[in-house]
Amino acid sequence: MAILEINHVSKFFGGLAANSDVSFAIEEGLIMGLIGPNGAGKTTLFNCITGYYPPSRGEVLFKGRRMNGLQPDRVCKLGMARTWQKVRPLAKMSVLDNVMVGALCRTNSLKTARAVAMEQLQVVRLDHKAGFLAGGLPIGERKKLEVARVLATKPVLLLLDEVMGGLNPAESDEIIRLILDIKRHGITQMVIEHDMKAIMRISDRIVVINSGEKLAEGSPEEIVTNPDVVAAYLGQE
Amino acid sequence: MNDISKKSAEGGFSTVGAVAALLVLAALYAFPSFVESPYALHMMILLFLSTIMGESWNIIGGYTGQYSVGHAAYFGAGAYGTLILLQKWEIAPWKGVWAGIAAALVLSLVIGSICFRLRGPYFVLASIAVAEIVRLTVLNTPSVTNGAEGILLSDLPPFKIGETVITDFVSKVPFYYIGLTLALLTILATWGVQNSKLGYFFQAIREDQDAAHSLGINLSLYKNIALALSAMMTSLAGAFYAIYIKFIDPTTVLPLDLSVQIVLIAIIGGIGTIFGPVIGSLVLVPLSEALRSNLIAQGLINSGLVKEDSGLGVFLKEHLAHAHVLIYGILVVVVILFMPDGVIGFVRKMSARKR
Repeated sequence: MAILEINHVSKFFGGLAANSDVSFAIEEGLIMGLIGPNGAGKTTLFNCITGYYPPSRGEVLFKGRRMNGLQPDRVCKLGMARTWQKVRPLAKMSVLDNVMVGALCRTNSLKTARAVAMEQLQVVRLDHKAGFLAGGLPIGERKKLEVARVLATKPVLLLLDEVMGGLNPAESDEIIRLILDIKRHGITQMVIEHDMKAIMRISDRIVVINSGEKLAEGSPEEIVTNPDVVAAYLGQE
Repeated sequence: MNDISKKSAEGGFSTVGAVAALLVLAALYAFPSFVESPYALHMMILLFLSTIMGESWNIIGGYTGQYSVGHAAYFGAGAYGTLILLQKWEIAPWKGVWAGIAAALVLSLVIGSICFRLRGPYFVLASIAVAEIVRLTVLNTPSVTNGAEGILLSDLPPFKIGETVITDFVSKVPFYYIGLTLALLTILATWGVQNSKLGYFFQAIREDQDAAHSLGINLSLYKNIALALSAMMTSLAGAFYAIYIKFIDPTTVLPLDLSVQIVLIAIIGGIGTIFGPVIGSLVLVPLSEALRSNLIAQGLINSGLVKEDSGLGVFLKEHLAHAHVLIYGILVVVVILFMPDGVIGFVRKMSARKR
C-alpha cells in the first residue's frame, strides 16, 4: 500500500516553477531515492510534503490523509519526519537534550523521553557523546545527531535530505548501514542523495527530478540505463 | 571541554549546593532580625524586585530566545491593576493583584498573537511599539488611570487573617518578606520550567525555530505560553512595586527605560540560566544606587584617584549621577564584547579553562 502519494504537485515562486506537476507514490516499508541535478527542486518538494510550503497546486496524501495546509509540527505528530540538508543542531543544548526534544513529541515525561533518546543515540552510535554540546560536534556526528533526533519522534515515514553530504567514505558507509537498519525496523524512507553509488545501493525505487519535473521513475537498474536520465546527468550528445 | 553532563553549576542538587542554598535562605529570612536599617532593607527589597523582573523576562527572552523589549507593559498592568482596584473599590492588594495578573495575561495573549508573526529584530521592534501603545493609552485615559497625575496610595489596609492583624505594613519588614518570597517563587518557577517539557521546547525554539517546528513543536502555542508565564510573573513585580512605593504613574511603571532595564538584568547575569537574573540584580541594583547617590564620584575623590577641586572632580561630582543611562550603555557594550553569555557564562568559561 502506498504510504505517501504525491499527486500533480507544483510549487511556484513568483513566475518560477520549482516543482511542476510531480506525481509518484511510496510503498510502505521501502526506500525511495530522490535524485536530480543541483537546483532540480528536490528540497522544495520535501518542503511541500512536510508543511514548510503549501503546494501551489496538487495534493500530498499521507496514509490516505490530505496534508496540504498542515503545519510542520502537525505533520511530525502524524508520523512524517524530516532532516535538513544543512544540519540544524540545537547548538547550546547537549546531544542528549537535542534528541529528547524529538522524543517529547510523543510523551510528556522527561524520564521516558530520556530513555527513548538514549536508545536512539545508541542506534546511531552517538551515546558516548550524550553530555556534549551539540554545537561542538564535527559534521559527521551532527548528521547522526540529526537522524537520532528525528527517529526519536517515532516516525513511520522518514525524509532524509542529503544525510551523506560532506561526509568521508567511512562515515557515509556508516550512514548507509544506518538507513538499512531503519528500513529493517519497518520505517519507510525517502532519501535525497548525490552519491550515486550509495543511492543505487539503498534504494528500492528511484525518482529522478530535473528542472522541477519528474524525469523518470523505476528500480535502480532501470534508472541507470534510462537514456533521459543519462542525458540529464552527463549532458546531451 | 564541551562535556556539560555535570550540571552542578546550574541549580544542581549536589549536597554541598543544597546546604549552601539552605544557609543562604536561612540568612535571608533572618536578615531583618539583625539589620534594622531601613536603607539596608530598602536595598534588599530592590534586589528582590529586580530578581523577580529578571527571572520573569528570562523565561521568554533567555529560555525561549524572544527578546521582548516591552515588558514594562506587563509591569504596568500589575501595578495599575492592583492600585486601581485598591483606590477605587478598596479591594485589598492580595486580591487585587489577581486582576493585575489577569490583565497582564490578556495583554500578553494579544501582544503574542500579533508580534509572534514576526521573528528576530522585527519582534523586538513590535514589542517596543506595543508597550508604547499601552503607556500612551494609560496616559490618555485619566478617568480610569488618573493619566499623567498617577495614582497615589493613601492607605494600605492591614493584612488580617480572621480578626488577627498579621501586619499593618508600617515598617519595611513585611515588604522584605513579601519580596523575598516572591523572588524565591519566581526562581522556583524558573527551575520548574527548566526541568519540564516546557523548558526543552522553549530552548529548542531559541536555538532553531525551523528545527523545533519540524520536531513537532507548535511554535505559536509554546511562544505564547512562554510570554504568558513571563508576563504574569512580571505583573507580580509591578503589583509589589506599587504597594511598596505607593505611587505609580506612566513614567515610573510603563517607560521604555524600564523595559530595557528588565532585559539587562538577565543579559548581564547570564540568559537562560536559573541564577543569571540573581547575579544580574547583584550587579545592577548596587550600581544604579551608587550612581544615584553619587557614591562613585565621591569614592573616586576620597580614594585620592581624582582631586576634588580639579576639573575632573568637579565634573564627575556634578554629572556622574545623571549619567546612569550612559554607564548602563557602557556596561552593556562591555558585557556583549567580553561576556556574551553574561557573568555566569564568563565564570563557567574561566573555570573550564583552569581545569
